[in-house]
Amino acid sequence: MIINFLKKVFLIDLLQGLSVTLKYQFTHKVTIQYPEKVKESRERFRGILRVYRDGEGKQLCIACKICQKACPEDCFDIEGQKNTEDNKMRPVKFDWKLYRCSFCGLCQEACPTDAIKLSKEFRMATRDKSKLFFTLDQMYSDYDLNKHFRGESKK
Amino acid sequence: MSNSLAADLIIPIIKIIIVGLFPLIMVMVMVWLERRVVAFIQLRLGPNRVGFQGILQPIVDAIKLFFKEDITHTGVDKVLFNISPVLVLFSSILAFCFIPLGGTMQIGTYNLNFWVAESPVGLLLIIGISSISVFGVIFGGWSSNSKYPLLGALRSVVQILSYEIPVAFSVLSIIFFSQSMNMIDIVNRQKDAGIWYGFMLPVSFVIFWISVVAETNRAPFDLPEAESELVAGFHTEYSGIKFAYFYMAEYAHMVLASSLAVVLFFGGWLPPFPNVAALSFLHVIPGFVWYLLKIMFFLYLFIWIRGTFPRYRFDELVRLAWKWLIPLSLLNILVIAFVRSFA
Amino acid sequence: MAFKEILLNMGPQHPSTHGVLRLKVALDNEVVMKVTPVLGYLHRGMEKLFENRTYQQITPLTDRFDYLAAISNNLGYLLAVEKLMGIEVPKRAQYIRVIFTELQRLASHLAWVGFFANDIGAMSVLLYGFIEREDILEIFEEYSGARLTVHAFRVGGVPTDINDKIIDMINTFILKLPKRIADIETLLTGNRIWKHRTIGVGVISPEDAISLGLTGPSLRSTGIKWDIRKDIPYSSYQDFQFEVPTSANGDLYDRYVLRLEEIKQSMRIIRQALDTLPQGETLTKVPRVLKIAPGEVFHSIEAPKGELGFYIKSNGTDKPERVKMKSPSFINMQSLETMCLGNLFADIVAVLGSLDIVLGEIDK
Repeated sequence: MIINFLKKVFLIDLLQGLSVTLKYQFTHKVTIQYPEKVKESRERFRGILRVYRDGEGKQLCIACKICQKACPEDCFDIEGQKNTEDNKMRPVKFDWKLYRCSFCGLCQEACPTDAIKLSKEFRMATRDKSKLFFTLDQMYSDYDLNKHFRGESKK
Repeated sequence: MSNSLAADLIIPIIKIIIVGLFPLIMVMVMVWLERRVVAFIQLRLGPNRVGFQGILQPIVDAIKLFFKEDITHTGVDKVLFNISPVLVLFSSILAFCFIPLGGTMQIGTYNLNFWVAESPVGLLLIIGISSISVFGVIFGGWSSNSKYPLLGALRSVVQILSYEIPVAFSVLSIIFFSQSMNMIDIVNRQKDAGIWYGFMLPVSFVIFWISVVAETNRAPFDLPEAESELVAGFHTEYSGIKFAYFYMAEYAHMVLASSLAVVLFFGGWLPPFPNVAALSFLHVIPGFVWYLLKIMFFLYLFIWIRGTFPRYRFDELVRLAWKWLIPLSLLNILVIAFVRSFA
Repeated sequence: MAFKEILLNMGPQHPSTHGVLRLKVALDNEVVMKVTPVLGYLHRGMEKLFENRTYQQITPLTDRFDYLAAISNNLGYLLAVEKLMGIEVPKRAQYIRVIFTELQRLASHLAWVGFFANDIGAMSVLLYGFIEREDILEIFEEYSGARLTVHAFRVGGVPTDINDKIIDMINTFILKLPKRIADIETLLTGNRIWKHRTIGVGVISPEDAISLGLTGPSLRSTGIKWDIRKDIPYSSYQDFQFEVPTSANGDLYDRYVLRLEEIKQSMRIIRQALDTLPQGETLTKVPRVLKIAPGEVFHSIEAPKGELGFYIKSNGTDKPERVKMKSPSFINMQSLETMCLGNLFADIVAVLGSLDIVLGEIDK
C-alpha cells in the first residue's frame, strides 16, 4: 500500500518506461538499407514466374496448359505445337501477364514437368505497363530481368 | 564616437540577428534529432541519406515546404488564417530576446553580453510573450472553418489555461530565492548560492517541467494536434509555408522551454558547481557552450518522453493540472515560503 | 451553456481508422453522442468472386480477406470445404496447420498491440510489435514463399512439409518473444497514462456483448468463456493443453491484458505441437478438378479477431454456388456505438483500436 503510493509519487512506472526506451536506443537497429543491401529471398520465395529448361538446355514445358487452368487470375495464354525432333508438344506461344499475377503459386504446383517456377526475383516495378506482359522469349529463366525492368542500370 | 556607435547600434543589431536565427537553427537541429532519436528508440535508422547522417534533411524538408502550393480553402477568415502562423512563430522567437544565451565576455575594453535585452521583469515578459502563441493556435483553429482544427483549438485553450498556473507557481518559488525577475540576476544568484535551483527545488522543477511539456503541446500532452484523433489538430488545413511556420514554432517553443528550464533551474551558462575551486577549469569552456549542452539535454528529454509514453486524454489532462499540479505547487510554495522566512 | 452538436466525419482519410472506415460522429463538445460506421470503401465483391472460381482457386483469395491473419482465413475456408467433401486431413498436416495458425494469431495480436498503443499515443510499441511480427513473417516466407498473402494450406492438407530449418526458426522465435512482451508490458501495463486511458473505458456488459454477436477476445473480456478452439475443437485442437483466458470488466485494459495472455497460450500450443508432431503424409490426394456433390456446410474457427465462419453451398460443379463469410471484424464493429456512447472523442479511437478490425474483412 505504502510502497504503491511511493511508487506513484516518485513516478516509478514512468521511469521504468523511460529506461526501456533508453535501452532500445543503444540496441542493434533492424533497418536494412535497401538499394545498397538487398535482403536475400528465402528458398521457397514466390517472385516473378520463369520458364526453366532442364540441365542440358532442353525445353521442359510440354504446353499441357494445366497451369493455364489452375491459374485463378487468368494470367496465361499458351499455345503448343508438335515438335518434330522429339515428337512432343512444345509451346509456340507463352504469353504471361504479370499485371494479373497474384503470386499464389498454384501454377508451379500444377506443372507436371517442373517447367515453370516462381523465381526469387521480386523487383518488378516499372513505369511502362507493356513491360508487365511477357512473351515466350522473355519467360526463360536466363532472360535478363534487370535490363527488362531497369534498363541498363547496374544491379 | 565611432566606437560608441559600434557599441550602441551595430553590435545590438548583429545580436538581434543572431538571436533571431538561433531558435531557427536549433529548430533545424531538433527536427533532425527528433526523427533520429525516435527512430533509434524504435530500432529504426531514421533519415540518414541527405548529408552526413541525414543532417541536411530538415533543410531539404524546409525547401520542399516553401515551394509547396499554399492552399487557402473556401470559407476561411483570411486575415486570421494568415496571421496565426506568424503569431505563433514570432512569439516564441521574440521571447529569446530576454534569454541569456551565455555570460559576459570581455573583448578588449568592451563587455560583450550574450543577451539582447535585460529587463527587471524579464521572466514575466517571457511568460507573457510566449503565451501569445496560444492566440495563434486559437485563431488558426477557428479561422480554418473546419471541425478538426476547431476541436484542436478548443483543447489548446483549456490546456494553456490549466497549465499556465502551475508554471507561474513553480517559477514563483525561484523568485523567492533569486529576489529578482531579471533573467541574468537569476543566473548570477545561482552562482552566489553555489547550487543550481533545480537541485534546491526539485519539486518545483518537476512541476515546471510537466507543465512546460503540456504548454508546448508535446507528447504525452499533444492533445491539440493529437495525430490519431484530430488528424493534425489546429493546423490540419494549413499547407506549404504556413504549415512550416507552425512546425517551426512547435520546435522553437521547445527550445524556449528548455532554455527557461536551464536558466531558471540549471544555472544558465554556469558550469556545474561554479564555486568549487577544484572544478574551476570548467570555466575555460565558454558559457554559451554550457548553455547549449544543457538545452540539448532537455530537448533530448522532450524527444525521449515522446517516444515512450501514451497520450493523455482531454479530461485527464485537465484533472492532472487542477487536482494534482496546482495544489501541489501551492503547497510547494507554502513550504518554500515558510522555510525561506524562518530558516 | 449549451453546445451545438458537432457532426464530425472521421475518415475515410483519417490516421487511425485502420484503413478506409468512415465514422459519422456526433459530438457534444467532446462527448460522443452517436457513432455511425459507413462501410464499403474497400469492397471488392469477394463473395461474388468466389462463385466464379474453382475450390482450389478460392484459397489465395481468402488471404486478401483479413490480411493481418491470412492463414486463419485459409484454414477457415479449407475446413469448410473439407467438411463438405467429407475428407479427413492427415494428422501431421493438422498439426502443421495448428502451428501456423497459432503463429498467425501471434502475428495478428502483436500487430494489434502495436496499433492499439499507437492509437493511444505510445508510438514505439507499434515498432516493437512489428519487429517480432517480422520474424513470424520470415517463418512464413521460409515455409510458403510469401509473407503477407501466405496461401499456406491447400484443400486436403498442406502443400509442403516443414523442415528442420523452419522448426529451428520457430523455436528461436518462441524463446525470444517473451522478452519483447515483457518490455511491452513495462512500457504499457503499469504505466499510469495507459491505465487512465484504458481502465473503465469502452465497457460492454456480457448481455450486450452476446446480443451484439461479439466474439473473440472482446467477448472473453466480459467474462464469457467462449473459444471455438476449446468448445468445438477443429484441426486437432483437442490434443493440446491450453487455457482460455477471461476477465471480468469488459474494458479496454482487460482486452489488452487478455490478448497478451493469449499470446502466451498460443506459444504454449505451438511448443506442444512441435514436440508431438506426428509423422506421415501431409496432403490427401484430391482430384485436380474438384467437383463437390450438392450440399451446404457452415464451419467456423477461432480466428485472432473472433469467430470466422464460412458457409459454402455446392452444386455438383467445380465451383461453389454461394460462399458467405461471417467475418469477426464486421460483427464486432457493431458494438462500437454501445462502447463509445458517453465517452470522450479520444476514446472512439481507442475503442476502435481495441476491437481489432481489419477493413479487408469488413468490406469483403
